[in-house]
Amino acid sequence: MKQNNMLAMILAGGRGSRLHDLTKKVAKPAVSYGGKYRIIDFPLSNCANSGIDVVGVLTQYESVLLNSYAAAGRRWGLDTKDSGVYILPPREKADANLDVYRGTADAISQNIDFIDTYAPEYLLVLSGDHIYKMDYDEMLDYHKEHHADATIAVIEVPMKEASRFGIMNTEEGGKIVEFEEKPAEPKSNLASMGIYIFNWKLLRKMLLADMKDPDSNHDFGKDIIPRMLEDQKTLYAYKFKGYWKDVGTIDSLWEANMDLLDKNNALDLADSSWKIYTQDTDALPQYIGAQASIERAFITQGCIVDGLVKNSVLFTGAKVAPGAKIIDSVLMPGVEVEEGAVVTRALVADHVKIGKNAIVGSADSENIELVAKRVKGEE
Amino acid sequence: MSRAFGIVNFAGNNIQGNPMQAYRPTGAISFLGRYRVIDFPISNMSNSGIDSIQVYIRRKPRSLVEHLGTGRHYNINSKRGNLNLLFCENGDENSIYSTDLAAYVENLDAIEEMSEEYVVIVPSYMVYTADYEEFLQNHIESGADITLMYQNVDNAKDHFLNCQVLNLNKQKGVLSLEPNHGNVKNRNIFMDTYVMKKEIFLDLIDKGRKLSSVYTLADALNESCGEMDIRGVSHRGYFAAMTDLKSYFDANEELLDRRKARELFHEEWTVYTRTNDSCPTQYFEGSNVKSSVISNGCLIEGMVENSIIGRGCEIRKGAVVRNCVVNADVVIGKDVHVENMVIDKHAKLIHSNQIIAEPEKPGYIRRGDKL
Repeated sequence: MKQNNMLAMILAGGRGSRLHDLTKKVAKPAVSYGGKYRIIDFPLSNCANSGIDVVGVLTQYESVLLNSYAAAGRRWGLDTKDSGVYILPPREKADANLDVYRGTADAISQNIDFIDTYAPEYLLVLSGDHIYKMDYDEMLDYHKEHHADATIAVIEVPMKEASRFGIMNTEEGGKIVEFEEKPAEPKSNLASMGIYIFNWKLLRKMLLADMKDPDSNHDFGKDIIPRMLEDQKTLYAYKFKGYWKDVGTIDSLWEANMDLLDKNNALDLADSSWKIYTQDTDALPQYIGAQASIERAFITQGCIVDGLVKNSVLFTGAKVAPGAKIIDSVLMPGVEVEEGAVVTRALVADHVKIGKNAIVGSADSENIELVAKRVKGEE
Repeated sequence: MSRAFGIVNFAGNNIQGNPMQAYRPTGAISFLGRYRVIDFPISNMSNSGIDSIQVYIRRKPRSLVEHLGTGRHYNINSKRGNLNLLFCENGDENSIYSTDLAAYVENLDAIEEMSEEYVVIVPSYMVYTADYEEFLQNHIESGADITLMYQNVDNAKDHFLNCQVLNLNKQKGVLSLEPNHGNVKNRNIFMDTYVMKKEIFLDLIDKGRKLSSVYTLADALNESCGEMDIRGVSHRGYFAAMTDLKSYFDANEELLDRRKARELFHEEWTVYTRTNDSCPTQYFEGSNVKSSVISNGCLIEGMVENSIIGRGCEIRKGAVVRNCVVNADVVIGKDVHVENMVIDKHAKLIHSNQIIAEPEKPGYIRRGDKL
């Protein structure tokens, strides 16, 4: 099935070092989110739902888990003939030295041969560590309508936060006139979402030149986009409205999970017309005990709740024993909280055990506590 | 790879007491929220290394075919293994002629061409966990012609009605089979689970056909007890037969007890099913859920107690759901109070305030009904 002649490349090589212990063993796109998902499920499901057949996933940092996870294209329905998910770590080639990906643009440059085998008309470049639902096919329509050489998805951010982002300055109609990376005095509040559609032929030419440029950082934001603007290419900003979150820190990852507790929240994971697909687990449905008390919570299969859960998100297989209290917290897959323990404003990492009567986190802490090691109980 | 192929049989004319069967074959009935009854026999086979499986379908195939698909989700080897759906087009669906034996005759080619030496035949209206590889090995070692699996129960007076009973001698030889009419408490309930050589199976089909056009495989077996070495092996642990609405209700409710659930769900014995990719369940302010099993994709704002809630249900503010088995995509509206009910898929309970049945006689709300 030939769909929209656009191939997607997901940049999934980042470590996400501000997520501390969560990304010690796995790359950021493989971090768990929302009870049963991993962050990379979002761009992959968006691709599948947008009618994109071929997706390359560019991995680098701690990629073993991510490689096998993303390679199972069947999970996202990317397994028909002529369709697939390809994992692309840096590889040795006949005519070049083996090199790590030196930047976002270099990751694409090193895979020009892969992209050429599909000869797409358009190339969609995505980042693997954002949480949002977006129809890339609509963005492609916009790109075509404006006869653009490149289209960049942008989102309006509060003006006072704009200096944290790459900002697009546009003229009326959406044409980009200037790009500023983290400007001290921003002129607009349109932040780049790191989602680009390029006409492949043009980008290919530019990447080949960029590879040879010793002064380049080989980065889309720092090098390719400014060069395109210099060359008077037509760049358009595509305004995205909806939920979008970069979960770069423990606090923002926690927040993004808490966002799911609101009624009619903007991410709307329950929308069956735009499902987010993920690895299927064979776990039982949730077992809720006789003494359980649950309010404002997001809980998935495999969980066993016998204690109190309030304002919290429980991931696959999390267990809360009788008398334990989970408040304003996130329990990642396989976490066990024993009797009488109290967890407040904390994010408990995969498979960590919190012992009997232990106290973790506090209601008035400024930051969310990351619990990545077993917490011993008290008798 | 197993030396046996598997057959999953349909529920016979004796097992048609559940109103949910009006919409689908028993195997496709939802079980414990996220499963279908047929997931259990097929997972047993898959976990036992049987990966050539025939599923017989007598009527209303849509939901079962949709659920089984290629069988990939049952972890059956995608190249070497095979999940085959076999349809029976003989006559009227509830006709006395429409027996399992008639279905085997109709699909005789498909049985004859199986390369495995043995066959394991299991039902699609019973739920239990059993290792068929062990069952097969015991059978081979015993030298018997046919081995049947049974469970000794002490509640046969009001449970397992219309199931077959095995009358055994002291050496566990099968003397005869008879239907359970509920006149004796302690009975060996036949789990409709057989193992035998394919050749013996084919002989039995042939023999049954010659004796009577309305015979079932169990009838043919009963006629052979005198001349063949037929033995019983006993099974322990969770065992339920979905013979009517009450037994379906009880089978689900029983699994709210986690000790019971552990008899059915073992660590190393995955029960596979088809995923629906639903998101986790959302509990809102004011929700009150106790002693229940909840599937994914639900929105819960009301009270749920001693109930099994299927995927994608909505329990709105002020609603009370007590002792209910609720199938997928059901809406329990604001302030609606339901008790002791089985609520079939897509039903919406919006306008009635109270729908309460007696626990001994659970009520039933039909698929897609709006109340």
